[in-house]
Amino acid sequence: MKPFDIVIVGGGGAGLYAAMEAMKTNPALNIAVLSKVYPNRSHTSAAQGGANAALGNKAKDDTVEMHIFDTIKGSDYLADQDAVDVLCSEAPKIIRELENMGTPWSRLEDSTIAQRPFGGAGRPRCCYCSDKTGHTILQTLYEQCLRKGVLFFNEYFALNLSVSGSCSNGLIAMNMKSGKVEAFPAKTVIFATGGYAKMYWNRSSNAAGNTGDGQAIAYRAGIPMKDMEFVQFHPTGLRKSGLLVTEGARGEGGYLLNKDGERFMARYAPEKMELGPRDLVSRSLETEILQGRGFDSPAGKYLHLDLTHLGADLIKSRLPQIREMSMNFEGVDPIEEPIPVRPTAHYSMGGIDTDNQTRTVMGGVYAAGECGCVSVHGANRLGGNSLLDILVFGRIAGRTAAEEAGRFTPGTISEAELHAQLQEVRGGMQSAGRYERYGELREELGQTLALNVGIFRESSLLQKGIEDIAELKERFKKVRIFDTSDVFNTNLMQVLELKNMLDLAETVAAGAFAREESRGSHTRIDFPVRDDAKWHKHTLTTLVNGKVTLGEKPVTMGRYELQERTY
Amino acid sequence: MTLPAAQHTEGKKNVTFRVFRFNPQVDSKPYFDDYTIPVERGITVLRSLNYIKEHIDGSVSFRAFCQAGICGSCSMRVNGLSQLACTTQVWDVLAKSREPGIIKVEPLRNLPLIKDLIVDMDPLVGKMVHYSNWIDSTMPEAKMGIKEFLISEEEFLRYDKATDCILCASCVSECSILRANKEYVSPAVLLKSYRMSVDSRDSMHEQRLAELVKDHGVWDCTHCYRCQESCVKSIPIMDAIHGLREDAIESRGKHDTSGSKHAEAFMTDIEKKGKLIEATLPIRTNGVVWTLQNLLPMAMKMIMKRRTPPPPPLVKSVKGIKIFRTMFREMTEHVKQDQKSHKK
Repeated sequence: MKPFDIVIVGGGGAGLYAAMEAMKTNPALNIAVLSKVYPNRSHTSAAQGGANAALGNKAKDDTVEMHIFDTIKGSDYLADQDAVDVLCSEAPKIIRELENMGTPWSRLEDSTIAQRPFGGAGRPRCCYCSDKTGHTILQTLYEQCLRKGVLFFNEYFALNLSVSGSCSNGLIAMNMKSGKVEAFPAKTVIFATGGYAKMYWNRSSNAAGNTGDGQAIAYRAGIPMKDMEFVQFHPTGLRKSGLLVTEGARGEGGYLLNKDGERFMARYAPEKMELGPRDLVSRSLETEILQGRGFDSPAGKYLHLDLTHLGADLIKSRLPQIREMSMNFEGVDPIEEPIPVRPTAHYSMGGIDTDNQTRTVMGGVYAAGECGCVSVHGANRLGGNSLLDILVFGRIAGRTAAEEAGRFTPGTISEAELHAQLQEVRGGMQSAGRYERYGELREELGQTLALNVGIFRESSLLQKGIEDIAELKERFKKVRIFDTSDVFNTNLMQVLELKNMLDLAETVAAGAFAREESRGSHTRIDFPVRDDAKWHKHTLTTLVNGKVTLGEKPVTMGRYELQERTY
Repeated sequence: MTLPAAQHTEGKKNVTFRVFRFNPQVDSKPYFDDYTIPVERGITVLRSLNYIKEHIDGSVSFRAFCQAGICGSCSMRVNGLSQLACTTQVWDVLAKSREPGIIKVEPLRNLPLIKDLIVDMDPLVGKMVHYSNWIDSTMPEAKMGIKEFLISEEEFLRYDKATDCILCASCVSECSILRANKEYVSPAVLLKSYRMSVDSRDSMHEQRLAELVKDHGVWDCTHCYRCQESCVKSIPIMDAIHGLREDAIESRGKHDTSGSKHAEAFMTDIEKKGKLIEATLPIRTNGVVWTLQNLLPMAMKMIMKRRTPPPPPLVKSVKGIKIFRTMFREMTEHVKQDQKSHKK
């Protein structure tokens, strides 16, 4: 295959924006987008609430500066302030750009883009399209990519970077339709594969495929991961499935109630109540449950998200998807009764370590969106900032790669390398001595993570988590792939995804064990306070000689000094 | 394959999933495999399939991603009806099952089969490209990002529902035209075309419409309503198709294509007689030459079997035609006014 100038791995919001921007920056470039699903299936579509931008449509006195401060405070001061500057200053422009391209935003009475309040934000600045914002953004981007004739390789599963020295030669991926392992020699590679929170499996709101493929590939290639221990738990996941009820439900006025019918958030965030930042609200729910004020059910303990007082009209017009999901997955109509909820792993703040231009330490390799970590979310992401992140940094990644592609020479990927990769991938199909079922390993990984590397963490729990992960990795060596065919082998794909999750789980647990403080989403019972003197820094985890190796990186400060974070 | 513990405790039922199997590498033709598992209330078809894949047969192949009814990956036919496996409750399907305790799971129709429950979505994407299913913004690219278009809530509501489409292709699978003609535009693409056409930011309304009125386009729909009935997001797809047709007649005239002429002939007949004058319908739709070339053999056969429709002078008006005409004209007037106010 002719070498590409840019290969983008992932066809969600970040990947598609990167593709469009790269084409715009230099139309002569040879660009490909690889995705393991059709791009319109990507998990961007599941984002319900919206994207933050200080447009000032709803609150005239909103400013970019306020958005910056809210984001930095929300991050528990772990975000890099120069990166947050970029995120928030670009926000109004990029939301308008999407609007100009055809995204169907909901509208205010004066016909401008509608905005609503969101957790941790001082003003109503979350732009939305009812509760399908991510879906409509993804559709718009996909439509525009089709219009521009972006070259897609759909249903290709990325396997590894081919590396020589400190530069990449390109990507190796498996064509799901044929089972063939193919080479994508490229000058530059952009990873935009989304997050890794699905490693919490049944206690995760994520799609089955959010298995951190891009991060795991980069990690195996020796690129450092940053702040992996910071995993956001969303306060309101559905009890049975972990699926998400948008923060918009609380933004519209929903209450959180315990089994005594008490609006318990008054105890934890008397001012912001239900609209406190996610880490705080999740901890509050978990505390209520731990202290025995939750409801009991065979599917686990839970609390109530009550929307009944909002009325049928509002629920039907503003939260139709939530209603549909509650009815489908819990058998509860939120117009009639409260929705059973509990916190669910939702977002990975950590990811591939990049600079503000999305560059990684490896020449020609970039990462954007949830897959990368600039970092703009620090220890805790604000609702409405993730869609913004994928748009802003997806675009930056596309532009940077397009501008820098000329500096790198495309490497070659040898037949021997492809063959070795194929052998490795299909190893699990041999039956001798292989008996482990991937479904069980996956389930156990989720359980140990939720229990030991979950919302409340502690040294002995984390130790247990680390041991469990190591044991699961051992057992994984004996995993059996039952489908031996070449064509669309989803069994094989799921096993490879599990491998990625296991590799990354190690970095999450290692980071969490090392960080002896509580900050944002990372709460240590044994170290309950934020320790700026020792821990105001990013965690780096790198694979060195097959072992997780910890490192650190300073936080870039700016106009805002460290402060205690209260709501 | 049956699980040993065949228990019928309350809240659990043994359900047999009859799964369509086809692996192009080894199978010359498709077959079905039965998997019987205990299923409790509240479990979806997708979760059952996941269970089968993880615990009984790892080779059962299907797509699934978000598991929350928003990505559209897991559409398949469950007991004959195309729907999302992730939002379909097993017990609900059982209640309507023809064969008690059995749920048949098959791939979508009208798209090329890849393996088991997986079909090729490329033809659908190809049609989206062919019919320009995107906004070609009136805003030049260089000026984007500076200013919002001001769009009324009213305009937003015109396409709000259509933007719910997740391209799951359930409608594609159910479409009766596609079964006969794979080149047909397909309901999802018509819906998307409509969504673009009513958006004031779009600049290629005319070009898109010009493509839609050609063969295999918007006039080929036969109003069977199966797309709308099967839509997993309850989108009124037929409204979109009608909307495109009205749009086509209004902006391209009544004599644009055989499709619009056919619609026009219907209107004339109904106003005149209260029913169709079938004998001359093909001529008015497609012209004398086409009719002679294409329908003469069929006409001969119809004569032989004495099934010819009566010649126009013999078609009598329906009873109460005068009152009907008044009503008909009034309705037509209303529709026209509605369209006018929509335009504003």
